[in-house]
Amino acid sequence: MTECDRREDTGQPFMDHAALLKSCAGGDRLALQKLMDAEGGRMLGVARRMLRRDDLAQDAVQEALVLVWRKAHQFDAQRGSAKGWIYTILRNRCLTLLRSEDREVATSPERLSASEDAQVIDTAFDRLADTTDLRRCLEGLDVQTRRAILSSYVLGHSHGEIAGRMEAPLGSVKSWVRRGLLKLRECLS
Amino acid sequence: MTDRSLDMLIDEIVLGLAEPADVARVEAMAADDPDIAARLDRARARFAPLDDTADELELPEDFWARVERDLDGADSLADTPAEARAPAEVIDLSGVRRAMTRWRGAAIGGLAAALLLAVSLGWTLMNPAQPAVIAVLLNEQGEAVALVESRPDNTTRVTLLEQADVPPDRVMQVWTKPEDDGPPVSLGLLARGLSDTLTIEGLPAPHAQQLYEITVEPEGGSPTNLPTGPILGKGLAKAPVI
Repeated sequence: MTECDRREDTGQPFMDHAALLKSCAGGDRLALQKLMDAEGGRMLGVARRMLRRDDLAQDAVQEALVLVWRKAHQFDAQRGSAKGWIYTILRNRCLTLLRSEDREVATSPERLSASEDAQVIDTAFDRLADTTDLRRCLEGLDVQTRRAILSSYVLGHSHGEIAGRMEAPLGSVKSWVRRGLLKLRECLS
Repeated sequence: MTDRSLDMLIDEIVLGLAEPADVARVEAMAADDPDIAARLDRARARFAPLDDTADELELPEDFWARVERDLDGADSLADTPAEARAPAEVIDLSGVRRAMTRWRGAAIGGLAAALLLAVSLGWTLMNPAQPAVIAVLLNEQGEAVALVESRPDNTTRVTLLEQADVPPDRVMQVWTKPEDDGPPVSLGLLARGLSDTLTIEGLPAPHAQQLYEITVEPEGGSPTNLPTGPILGKGLAKAPVI
């Protein structure tokens, strides 16, 4: 049985990410390699979903892992999940790349494929386990609001991109996303 | 800011919808305030299940080699005991311009520009005397770590954008090169480890493309009066379009 199988069997993380981060902070490169082995594939998936290009997605994961290494000493296990901390670093890298590439990426055909975008965010929603609160609360939003919120988190779309897709004024989209977020926060807390 | 609007801003940061300046501001607040840090963490945890919905893709075979190559030189200063560090050497700043291009300046350009606009606008509105030049200082990873705004009389406002990892017996020192081919000149120390405004007399008015940088120096500042310690961030100034 591989380690991955075991993780799925038990529903528990098979590795202690927080301990690995601590080892990274102590200068143990093997610990970073273990984190890469455990999360690299999923990280690439997250980056690919946002950046839409394999080369950019790989750059983002590579940079994120180096940042994880550099910042490992800042991670505080009291504050939250180690895995979440790693994905926050990755998402921030992706967003930075996405925003700085905006002018080029926004006009590329793959960026404009609205049907593909809709498919990606619907898949993300469908894959959320039925039991999660996030799924239950997202179900409580109207479809358009749900899609707007998902396309910002999953695809990294900006307010402007969402407004473009919805053919709605920017200001309306902003207040509309905010209402959705408020509803979501109330439902989730 | 009300609690309610802060929570909204936190949600927008987690979704990736907030402006870079707002992200920097809230992260700075979180660094000082465990309650805000916890709210940020909770908001991230709420959306984290979406990360697991991404496909698990295969990394290229040589990926670890690529990552490891980048680790050389990226080892965190905070974890290196002071005595284990290389002895202080005077840094040759002539290579800085070349190095800047390698430092992913382009990749970070969008963020830096947005930060620069947002932060400098804030400062400009509050301060009638406008800066002659503004520089965003980037660290080796290309992240913005400080914003430098300097007036014609070289009154220089340094806004830190990230909590710096400075050992207790060290201090941040701000440098500039008034003449491209001349020596770096100290603008002063960030003795409190926080953002500060520095004044100096006798320098020519700052110009576009002037180099600014922050290094980590022994207490009281560099003993040689030239930068000797590791560079926290550096950047070339631009004149704001007003």
